[in-house]
Amino acid sequence: MNPWHSLAGRTILVTGGAGYLGSAVTEELDRSAGKVLCLDLPGKAAAFVRERGLRNTLAYDVDLTDVAGLTPALDAIMNEHGVPDGVVHFAFASSAGKTVEELLPSDLDSTFCRALTPAFLLTRQVAERMRSRGSGSIVLYGSMYGMVSPDPRIYHLPMRPNPIDYGASKAAVIQMTKYFAVHYGASGIRVNCVTPGPFPNPNVQRAHPGLIADLSAKTALRRIGVNSEIVGPTLFLLGDGASYVTGQSLVVDGGWTVW
Amino acid sequence: MPDTTPLPLTLQGKVVVQFGGTGLLGPALIDALVAAGATVVIASRSRDSLKEIVAAHAAAGNTVHPEEVDQHSEPSLQALRDRVLAQHGRIDGVVYNSASRPMKSFGDDLAAWRQSMDDNATGFIATIRVFGDAMAKLGSGSIVNISSMYGVVGMNPWLYEGTSMGAPPDYFFHKGGMINVTRYLAAYYGKSNIRVNVVSPGGIYNPAKPQAPAFLEKYEKMTMLGRMAEARELGGPVVFLLSDAGRYVTGANLLVDGGYTAR
Repeated sequence: MNPWHSLAGRTILVTGGAGYLGSAVTEELDRSAGKVLCLDLPGKAAAFVRERGLRNTLAYDVDLTDVAGLTPALDAIMNEHGVPDGVVHFAFASSAGKTVEELLPSDLDSTFCRALTPAFLLTRQVAERMRSRGSGSIVLYGSMYGMVSPDPRIYHLPMRPNPIDYGASKAAVIQMTKYFAVHYGASGIRVNCVTPGPFPNPNVQRAHPGLIADLSAKTALRRIGVNSEIVGPTLFLLGDGASYVTGQSLVVDGGWTVW
Repeated sequence: MPDTTPLPLTLQGKVVVQFGGTGLLGPALIDALVAAGATVVIASRSRDSLKEIVAAHAAAGNTVHPEEVDQHSEPSLQALRDRVLAQHGRIDGVVYNSASRPMKSFGDDLAAWRQSMDDNATGFIATIRVFGDAMAKLGSGSIVNISSMYGVVGMNPWLYEGTSMGAPPDYFFHKGGMINVTRYLAAYYGKSNIRVNVVSPGGIYNPAKPQAPAFLEKYEKMTMLGRMAEARELGGPVVFLLSDAGRYVTGANLLVDGGYTAR
């Protein structure tokens, strides 16, 4: 018998699978799952698979914000590889990058369309096809900024505070997770989200050492997270070890929100 | 490229002390810790109560280490800590699964409430201080407290109608308190590289002595997966939080309730 956390033989679909957080998850799934379907912006997934020499990962060019193209793209992938056992949806963090004072109504519309509409469509489409099998695990991505506001004092000029539309869209993902968990629970499909704390990518780490020090000081563990630390929580939720976990937001924030 | 070396979801080489080894959940958690490769010390009020589980593991070729402790007594807890360190050289994890249920109903004498405070609140903090401090001195560790979804929501009287089952108030007090004290402890021990998290199970089915049919029928409808938990379904969440796979998770409450609180 496989250990409870084994994903051997399973097919997992990862969106944004070549990004900073997604790449760590994709790489580990490449080692431990049966097959990984890695979706990212044109060229990104293929380049990642090639550079890292991944052997069980298939790359797909899918722009998830192209709402009209998403449904046929997913259908084609599922027709070829079957309905995946698990889904990890990273794509993607959206915001207009503006301050509260600058934000236009059209900016808000755009953020929510880019962040929420693909998450909704993807989850519904895959979960509907998981129903007949009676099992599946879907992992969405929230953010600590969907739970608490950024502290503007740690974003030093010319850097701007993490924007309001980003946090609002992530709060919506946390709620959508609960709604989907309830909606699809009777079909044996689990829906959860991972809610990361501060995981700035290496470019941000290099460009803003002051921010990194401030971010670190605001966590109980006194350090930022690195992408390898998002892998365990994600794989845990995908696997049978979490068979009774659904509708949850698993907070991976080094203790940012404990005080 | 950033370092994406995976952090292993295993307890191989780790010494884990579990408080509370009996009841429905205790043995299932011990099974999970053993399966994940941990050296397991089980601390309980009486060694006798652990005979069966120790024998079961021995029959399967595994060694678990039963220990007696009085969680009301700091010297007893300190002595346990010293014995574990002397025998195993280190402590990497603590599973706090002790619970005492002196109160049976809302109207019970306050003496039962006071007893519950002494067992569940005082015993909890006394234990975590001794073992948290010990792990802080060693430079790392992970504590997993076992609360309940009843630390997050109140009881629904409708579930209990027509049964002799009850939901006494002390349980809700201690389980709710445990969740917020977990955040306190995560903040307190964070700088010492000790993670502190809490797992909050929903109702667990008892195959040996099933809950009242009237309760089961209603309860199952309240969960999104349409069933109570199996005790073994708590093993994965606990092992994950103890292991290095959960290395950036601290202060979190992981609800394992089949979606009971999601709606």
